[in-house]
Amino acid sequence: MRLFRNMFANSKLRKMAGVQSIAHSTPGGITPHLHKSRSLRSKIMAIPIPPHLLIPLQQQQGTASAACVKAGDRVLKYQKIADATDSTSLDIYAPSSGVVSMIQNHTTINPAEKEQLCIFIDTDGKDEELAEIDAIEWQTLTREELLPVIRNAGICGMGGAGFPLPKKMETSSNREIHTLIVNAAECEPFITADQALIRERSEAVIQGAEILQYAINAKHCVIAIERSKGDAIAALSKSISHSSVEIVILDDKYPAGGERQVIQAVSGKELQANKLPADAGIHLQNVGSVYAVYRAVAESKPCISRITTLTGEALQTPKNFEALIGTPVSFLFDLCGIDKKNHAKTVVGGSLMGIELMDTSAPVMQSSNCLIAGSLAEFPDTIPEQPCIRCGFCAEACPAGLLPQQLLSYSRSEDAQQLEDHGLFDCIECGACSYVCPSKIPLVQYYRNSKEQLALSQEVFDTSKGWQARFQDHQYRIKKLKDEAEPRTAIKPANIPSAEEKPQGTFSKDQAILDVAAAVSRVKARRKNVIASSESPAKPIQADGEAET
Amino acid sequence: MLPLVGTIYFQSLMALIAVLLIMRVIYLMRQFWLQSLSRQHSIVDQINALLPQTQCGRCGHLGCRPYAKAISLGERINKCPPGGDETITNLSLLLNEHRHSLDPAHGEVLQRAVVVIREDECIGCTKCIQACPVDAILGGPKLMHTVIESECTACDLCIEPCPVDCIDLIQLGEPELLWRAPEAGKTTLIGSNL
Amino acid sequence: MINSSPFQHREQSIGDIMSLVIMACIPGICMSTWFFGYGLIINIVLAACCALAFEAAALLLRSRSLMQLKDNSALLTAVLFAIAIPPGSPWWLVVTGIFVAIVLVKHLYGGLGQNPFNPAMTAYVFLLLAFPLDMTSWHVPVPLEGAVGSTVLSNSLPNLSGFDNAIASSSMSSLGWQSLKLSLLATLPFLSAFYENPETAVELIDGMAMATPLIEYKMAGKSALLASWDSGLNIFSRQSETAWEMANISYLVAGLYLLYKGIISWHIPLSIVVTVLIISSLFYAPGSSSVFGTPYLHLFGSATMIGAFFIATDPVSAATSKSGKIIYGILIGCAIYSIRVWGSYLDSIALAVLFGNFFAPLLDHYCRPRIYGHKKHTSDGLGFRKKTLPLLGKLRVEKSKAEEIES
Repeated sequence: MRLFRNMFANSKLRKMAGVQSIAHSTPGGITPHLHKSRSLRSKIMAIPIPPHLLIPLQQQQGTASAACVKAGDRVLKYQKIADATDSTSLDIYAPSSGVVSMIQNHTTINPAEKEQLCIFIDTDGKDEELAEIDAIEWQTLTREELLPVIRNAGICGMGGAGFPLPKKMETSSNREIHTLIVNAAECEPFITADQALIRERSEAVIQGAEILQYAINAKHCVIAIERSKGDAIAALSKSISHSSVEIVILDDKYPAGGERQVIQAVSGKELQANKLPADAGIHLQNVGSVYAVYRAVAESKPCISRITTLTGEALQTPKNFEALIGTPVSFLFDLCGIDKKNHAKTVVGGSLMGIELMDTSAPVMQSSNCLIAGSLAEFPDTIPEQPCIRCGFCAEACPAGLLPQQLLSYSRSEDAQQLEDHGLFDCIECGACSYVCPSKIPLVQYYRNSKEQLALSQEVFDTSKGWQARFQDHQYRIKKLKDEAEPRTAIKPANIPSAEEKPQGTFSKDQAILDVAAAVSRVKARRKNVIASSESPAKPIQADGEAET
Repeated sequence: MLPLVGTIYFQSLMALIAVLLIMRVIYLMRQFWLQSLSRQHSIVDQINALLPQTQCGRCGHLGCRPYAKAISLGERINKCPPGGDETITNLSLLLNEHRHSLDPAHGEVLQRAVVVIREDECIGCTKCIQACPVDAILGGPKLMHTVIESECTACDLCIEPCPVDCIDLIQLGEPELLWRAPEAGKTTLIGSNL
Repeated sequence: MINSSPFQHREQSIGDIMSLVIMACIPGICMSTWFFGYGLIINIVLAACCALAFEAAALLLRSRSLMQLKDNSALLTAVLFAIAIPPGSPWWLVVTGIFVAIVLVKHLYGGLGQNPFNPAMTAYVFLLLAFPLDMTSWHVPVPLEGAVGSTVLSNSLPNLSGFDNAIASSSMSSLGWQSLKLSLLATLPFLSAFYENPETAVELIDGMAMATPLIEYKMAGKSALLASWDSGLNIFSRQSETAWEMANISYLVAGLYLLYKGIISWHIPLSIVVTVLIISSLFYAPGSSSVFGTPYLHLFGSATMIGAFFIATDPVSAATSKSGKIIYGILIGCAIYSIRVWGSYLDSIALAVLFGNFFAPLLDHYCRPRIYGHKKHTSDGLGFRKKTLPLLGKLRVEKSKAEEIES
């Protein structure tokens, strides 16, 4: 049934857009209710400048940047306020003009609800920019000139995981890349930021893709987008008429937009578990990042904002905002008219992979693609889990080909070996298994716990291995010293243990027998030694019978 | 359908299946044999891997490997306070021995900890450096000493030799986990759920 | 504690799934009732009440919330058990069976999801071994006029003439008020005290006994039935063999509905049906004197369809991976045919399903799907195997040095 429906839809799309290719299928997946239409009603809005901005020094996977301003400094829009410390950290630019009030810890959006160093800026509302830089004609630049421009723009992946773009570019430029895939598949419920972006700014996205394609020297460039996003596909197909960029239509399922899923859908090949996309000659970039690249290169503006979806039943006017990095979440909620009584839970990201935010004073970061102010109806309280009936719905939904029900039982019994064998570390935590579970078991939570525990015991194991090595080195060194020292002190030819080393205390018959036996064996060993190596001087035999020292 | 039983086709099919099955069984047996070959490690290594490697000497031996050797020669397995019950359990599983509780003569169960030298009080006597079984203390004669925290096993062998008592043992506590498993359903055995 | 994603769930609970399966049984139940009278319905009602009572008692004893009754699993067990046993079975048979199914097989092993064997089928096998006579005679209360003269018990080997006589006189029960009363009496004989004319009732209880076509087939060898199953049946003729055919078709259709709804997957039913079809085709010799029976008889002449679509697909005790399910189905299919034809039990679904259950954990272990991005079904993970004793050799720190120190 579904096959026929898809074929029909495909032929319609082909006519409409001149689409070149339909994607290959990927294993597993679910089709959840998407809740997307509400936030797509209006256009992307620029927000008024919030009175305070708090910009976390680490917004991506990797290391934190080092602030290069101090409290009391006045900063202008687009002025650099933090330097990258290594290839996995980013330069950070001021989103608006104002005065740095302080640099201190504040809650940010991360699963641990941990505090993180943020630069606080009291904005002055003037939005004064740094001296205008002329836009570059990127076509005139060489690749070597273009790469630093992209690298210094302070962009990290905007799909949600937040992988730093400079690091990714570095990996890709070291390898032969044949295809750039722009990932416009936004398969999680609630999120519409990418769809809105493409709908309204498809020209810029296409240009950004071309810039990136040029920068990493890719032969092909492909935009992967799901079938259901008709308006975005239409906008794209209008814009690609004069470029070599192709569109690939993906199936409407979750997780169609996962890294490995998109790569398989486009190339038809499964990426090996231990390989990076770049190893297969593919560079995958989220469409939001591609747009940021366009801004950085074509308009010479570093990344200071992102398009964020604000949605949820507690908001009266859900919409997409072009939000400045560092805007407090609560400020955005107020703009959308939040109904505090109805507001039960704040989720950052989609409803299937997002994280719950307890403190809405946390700032928007580059990876925050969606902020949901959910009502109790949308996000009901967790129901106590019921026993697993092994129905196997989870195994059918799992995009990684795992057996979630088996993993659950091993997770409960903390069986590290079986967890590893059953591929716990291949789990991408997409939440499809928990979504379909009729027993409402929080499977992903079990897996996250198990992963963390295994990582912890791995750490303990590694340290103890280190201790063991150091201990042996220590013993070895001491023995070496002893061996070297002994010939000097013990000049006496007889290497029989000296009298003072013998136990002086009480006489016991057993001890005496043991001593005699030990002496005999020592003499035997020495004779053997002498016969075996008559040229080399007989090494002193240790008095201490216990070899294990 | 034709009655196929008894015909040459049926018999040859069955023969083919039988041959395939036998080949598979031979293959599996060979695999098993190869695996068992690769698993042979000395019992001392296996015991040693289960010990916590703090090298504290509370068991009465110089370090963990000597104790492992002693265990392999028949010593009791309940003499390791840093390992606690977990080590005893693992050892009893490995050696198929009775799971005695920890021998109080060797001290109480120890938590994760680390030692720190109060550096302004250190007189640079190097006594702690000589005592440290894993060379985790840096310093020279008449110069300040300090502990490399990541290498410290918290064996506390350095505390006693210090003439000015400037070494402290700091408990680290249990590591905090970000994700906790739900409380429900912590049973695994069939029937143990009553 | 932080709640982990996902925050959105599909609105389908265990209770929904179970009730859908119960619903899917209804056409088959109606068909059986139409042909065999009210015995099955009475069985189901009695079994369901007992099941709920036993489940509630077990939950209370295990100090669990009674809300777990809402998962409908006890009801489903009761329905499947009631369908499996002969309609119009005495009440104590039903109560014993449900006790075994719910308390012994399910709750003593840890409740829902923990039982290694299918509760309904284990109970059936228990009763089959304990009360073979009651479990193989199918009491069909017939109206007064039809009952006279035919007192055949299927478990006593009938001679051919007597058997044919039974067939000839087996005009099926009608569905009137009188028939309901008689069915009630069959199940609950102590009710006869309330009847004005107890004598008639007692006489009628074992008025007619019939068995599945397979039983007749096996017992009678070549009889009139062979001809009827070879030449095709008259669907509208309300004969006992037609009844089985119609019930099987109902369960097949209902099973296909469950497949469509995604409650069960195609692997187990298809592999069972195909296995039975292939084996019975291989062994069936038309016109010979062997008693193997036609493939059609094996598929539609007994409980194969309900077994394949409803009983073997019980997820708790079945294998879970796709390849595991297929092997599981093939094992059950082989067992169904073997026990039927060469074994001494008559209809073998229950035994075959239990046979399959034995293999489920093994299949779960060996028939895992290939993990995405890996060549095999196992993953390397982090390479961390601390708790596995045989692989501890990873912690061999510079062996040469260690040896030197020890020397």
